[in-house]
Amino acid sequence: MRAIRPPGIVGAALAAALVLSACTSTTKSGNVAAQADAGPPVRGGSVTVAINTEPTCFDIHVSPQDITASIQRNVFDSLVAEDDQGNFRPWLATSWEVAPDLTSYTFKLRTDVKFTDGTAFDANAVKVNFDRIAAKSTKSQYAASLLGPYTGTEVLDPATVRIRFAKPFAPFLQAASTAYLGFYSPQALAAAGDKLCAGGAQSVGTGPFKFAAHTKGQSLTLENNPAYNWAPTGAGHQGAAYLDKLTFRFLPEDSVRVGAFAGGQVDIAGSIPPVNVKGLEGRADVRILRHDFAGAVYSLFLNTTRAPFDDERVRKAVQRGINIGPNVQSIYFDQYRRAWGPLGSATPSYDKTLENSWPYDPALAGRLLDEAGWTGRDGDGYRTRDGKRLSVQWPSAPAAVREQRDILAQAVQADLKKIGVEVQRPALDLGAFTTNAYAGKYDVLDMSWARFEPDVLRLYFNSSNLPSAGGQNAAWLSNPQIDGWTDSAAATLDRPTRDRLYAQTQAWVIEHAAVVPLYSATTLFATGKQINGLRLDPNAWPLFHDVWSARR
Amino acid sequence: MTATPTADKRRVRIRRRPAPRASVVVALVVLVLFALIGLAPGLFTGTSPIETDPLAALRGPGAEHWFGTDQLGRDVFARVLHGARPSLLLGLGATVFALVGGTLWGLLSALGGRAADQVCMRLADIMLSLPELLLALFVVTLLGRGTVDVMVAVAIAAMPGYARLVRAEALVVRRSGYVEAAAGLGLRRPVLIVRHVLPNAIGPLLVLGTVGFGTSLIYASGLSFLGLGAQPPSPEWGAMLSEGRGFLETAWWIGVFPGAAVTCAVIAVNVAGRHARTRFAGGTAR
Amino acid sequence: MSSAVTPAEPARLPRVLRAVGGRLVAIASVLLGAATLAFAGLKLLPGDPVATLLGPQTTASPAVRAQIRSDYGFDDPVISQYLHYLGELLHGRLGESYQLQQPVSALIAEQFGSTFELAMSALVLAVVIATVSALATAGRRSALRSALGAWELVAVSTPSFWLGIVLLTVFSFRLQWFPVAGTEGVQTLVLPAVTLALPIAGVLAQVLREGLEKALAEPFVVTARARGLGRGAVRVRHAFRHAAIPLLTLSGWLTGTLLGGTVLVEKVFARPGIGALTLQSVNTKDMPVVMGVVLLAALVFVLISQLTDVLYAVIDPRLRKG
Repeated sequence: MRAIRPPGIVGAALAAALVLSACTSTTKSGNVAAQADAGPPVRGGSVTVAINTEPTCFDIHVSPQDITASIQRNVFDSLVAEDDQGNFRPWLATSWEVAPDLTSYTFKLRTDVKFTDGTAFDANAVKVNFDRIAAKSTKSQYAASLLGPYTGTEVLDPATVRIRFAKPFAPFLQAASTAYLGFYSPQALAAAGDKLCAGGAQSVGTGPFKFAAHTKGQSLTLENNPAYNWAPTGAGHQGAAYLDKLTFRFLPEDSVRVGAFAGGQVDIAGSIPPVNVKGLEGRADVRILRHDFAGAVYSLFLNTTRAPFDDERVRKAVQRGINIGPNVQSIYFDQYRRAWGPLGSATPSYDKTLENSWPYDPALAGRLLDEAGWTGRDGDGYRTRDGKRLSVQWPSAPAAVREQRDILAQAVQADLKKIGVEVQRPALDLGAFTTNAYAGKYDVLDMSWARFEPDVLRLYFNSSNLPSAGGQNAAWLSNPQIDGWTDSAAATLDRPTRDRLYAQTQAWVIEHAAVVPLYSATTLFATGKQINGLRLDPNAWPLFHDVWSARR
Repeated sequence: MTATPTADKRRVRIRRRPAPRASVVVALVVLVLFALIGLAPGLFTGTSPIETDPLAALRGPGAEHWFGTDQLGRDVFARVLHGARPSLLLGLGATVFALVGGTLWGLLSALGGRAADQVCMRLADIMLSLPELLLALFVVTLLGRGTVDVMVAVAIAAMPGYARLVRAEALVVRRSGYVEAAAGLGLRRPVLIVRHVLPNAIGPLLVLGTVGFGTSLIYASGLSFLGLGAQPPSPEWGAMLSEGRGFLETAWWIGVFPGAAVTCAVIAVNVAGRHARTRFAGGTAR
Repeated sequence: MSSAVTPAEPARLPRVLRAVGGRLVAIASVLLGAATLAFAGLKLLPGDPVATLLGPQTTASPAVRAQIRSDYGFDDPVISQYLHYLGELLHGRLGESYQLQQPVSALIAEQFGSTFELAMSALVLAVVIATVSALATAGRRSALRSALGAWELVAVSTPSFWLGIVLLTVFSFRLQWFPVAGTEGVQTLVLPAVTLALPIAGVLAQVLREGLEKALAEPFVVTARARGLGRGAVRVRHAFRHAAIPLLTLSGWLTGTLLGGTVLVEKVFARPGIGALTLQSVNTKDMPVVMGVVLLAALVFVLISQLTDVLYAVIDPRLRKG
């Protein structure tokens, strides 16, 4: 479940590290499509991309969806851009200054930028947009939380704005680099501010593409913005995008999306199921783009406050009683990796020493359960203590299942049955699921959280983020040590200190079996060989400004 | 999705009364076999349907695994056999629930006086104006997901059809001479009607129920296919089909065999139902 | 239902008016009932409507939640919400989707074309297949009949989603005769239409054949034959017309099957349409959209059943006397 978003300030707060420190990023293999023998870029033509989700709301200021930001990134620009190394680069802002107490940020803006409706982009546009995001009537489900303790925007002159916050707000630059804090034309906002969820022609931005057509349930087409000349520093080229047209096709069925790609109906397909990678890779006319997962890997969180998982021995038994490696390997066809810690290997401060430190050991698991007093066996082969079966609840929300997680869960159930633990998986609809989750009515909860930042550990294990407070601490940990480590790491920009604190955190949650990491996903895109210049940003979202097609 | 239309919507009778044919015998044998498999799948396979073996994942059909293995290395043959019970029970439960509910509904309508009749039949009209699958989806939205919820949803969708049939039978009986006569003898009318209606209606109801069983099987597996049904890892045909969907290119057997099982079961039920209908020739409601 | 036309001249106009009025009342009452049922469903939906509306993926603040609550009038008394809902319906407004934040009527209108296209192609296909199958076999005992009969049985008993999966596997993935997805062009329509049509054709063929066999035994067929008409001509010209009547009685079932079937077929073939919209709404508990689809289905059904009544009279003169 990645369904629940980080609560604004809490979640973002110490992404602060990103602001000043150039967080070293692990180099990711193959996140740029190889350009061997491609020749000079060709202008014109169109490209069709098959993706697995259609945004329910296209308004970047309102929607909490990844996919909305991913598509609208092509239509809306941000003040700054974040690169693969976690550095911030000028975009619509040419330079910026951060107040020493982190309560205000002053941006110098470009003066040559125009929205696609002809309106000029200026300080007022920034103010109108940020004020809109913060306004209650906008009903923002995510962007407002990215603005944190926003108090207002001051227009110093047409090309200078100062954004103010009620208290120190370090993660602002990182937030400002996302599409969620992109800019609508003030004219479009005045005309159709309450209808932007529907997307369409009123979504007027400054980006390299502009809206052309949308058929719900089918496709969205963007067309070139010929005036575009303000790509962020570090982009593959300046000036207008190469493509005339960019079409997103919504094909949620895996087999259909892959089939459409294999049959040449689309040029690029996202979310390639691992089962299909080998077959596609074998074809001469196909390239696979991979991007390692950064953030908190897909893990099982064991509710440490509820029997039977209030007993660490039972938690450890479960951790060692699942044959994770072979299952992940066979379900994900060697494309996703078995995880050994709560962070993905591409995340800064990833602790490599945890690898292979807790292998599958059903015998040990059995001994631990014996020690914990679960020595009896009932008719179905499950362990009992005082006549009570060792049974745990792991609720599922079928509507939100992806990446074959339901299948992996069945493997977990089968393995745990072997050591005598019953896993029940009541299927709930999203509403009931969320309610139960926040109320702690579960023994196991599964989640992953994509984010290029180890601060997710604070989101996941700090006691200020208990689900009862709307947070993501699904193991219900309240440990002063963990709180201290994650809080201090979030308050410093010193890399070695952060590494040490985060390593301690990672080791502790594995050692005490608060979490059972399962797999680290890989973002998989398939492109036809005619496609060049496709790049995935640090969020693993595709960027199309530099893309060109050799086939016209 | 389809199924044979409920009999009250098709005013067709078969005139001849054919002798039981080979197909009927085969159908009955298949039904008995399915029932046996449902009762004791262990008699037919020693393999566990939920035990995983990642090293043997996605093997094609062969001597070792007749129907191949799925992505966790589970034996598809064993899963199909063990899936018989939940799948058939889902269809059967829905049918029984619909029959009972529909009978009560129809009797209430026929015997409960004018106002009750109006309310009951208008409600039936409204529900009959909705496609069964849509009605079932609507109910599932309200109830939530799960085996029992799907069963209830399918049953509720089928209920108004049965209600109409029972009401029609009840009215026929009420107007018939012997009831008038018995009423003349001082017996209380409702008692009479229940006593006479039920035996009379039971034939057509059973016929309709058999056909309805086939329909319920299809709808229930459809809802499971849509991810609204059974709880994993219990093998259920519709859910298995849904899981196999992503593997059409690479491992067709995961999805194809459970689907074939549903089809076989429904064919057998339909052949038996059709035979029953000709036996009770004209017993369908009008 | 009474039929409308009568030869009694003086009383004609009022009678027609009364019949038309009666039909309108019947239509309105079913629609009102469906609307009430749908509204009751919305109110019976467990849980906080705002939480349902927002879904789990949100950081909406309490202030935003309160704003939504008042915007949607969730705190008003149920009866006033109901009356407001009916009032909106009278103006053709079906409310606004929780998830998509667009008018439900616009969403449905947008998706209607694709579903209509699919349903109509399937219907035509089914009728053609059924007619050919029935005409070729009625009243004959032959291997062909057994074969076609067996085929019909299988078609009737096969879940359409499974059929769709098999067709996709064979014709799109293996043979690559048809594209896997999309709505552009006739090619993309073939497999979904066949999937939806085959089970329906199976039922239609059975009903048609029974009707044909019954008709072929009627005296007028003997008369026609005696007048020297050929066997085939009798079949097509007289008996078939007769046999088509039972088909009409199936129209309600047909509508339902086509509409319900699109939910699964659109899912399997990843086609946009009313069915896909319904499924999405059921999954996200987007009740206003589910209600809209329910109303649409009821409307289509009553319109078709009224139309059927009229058609009876047209096809079978005997029924005109009422």
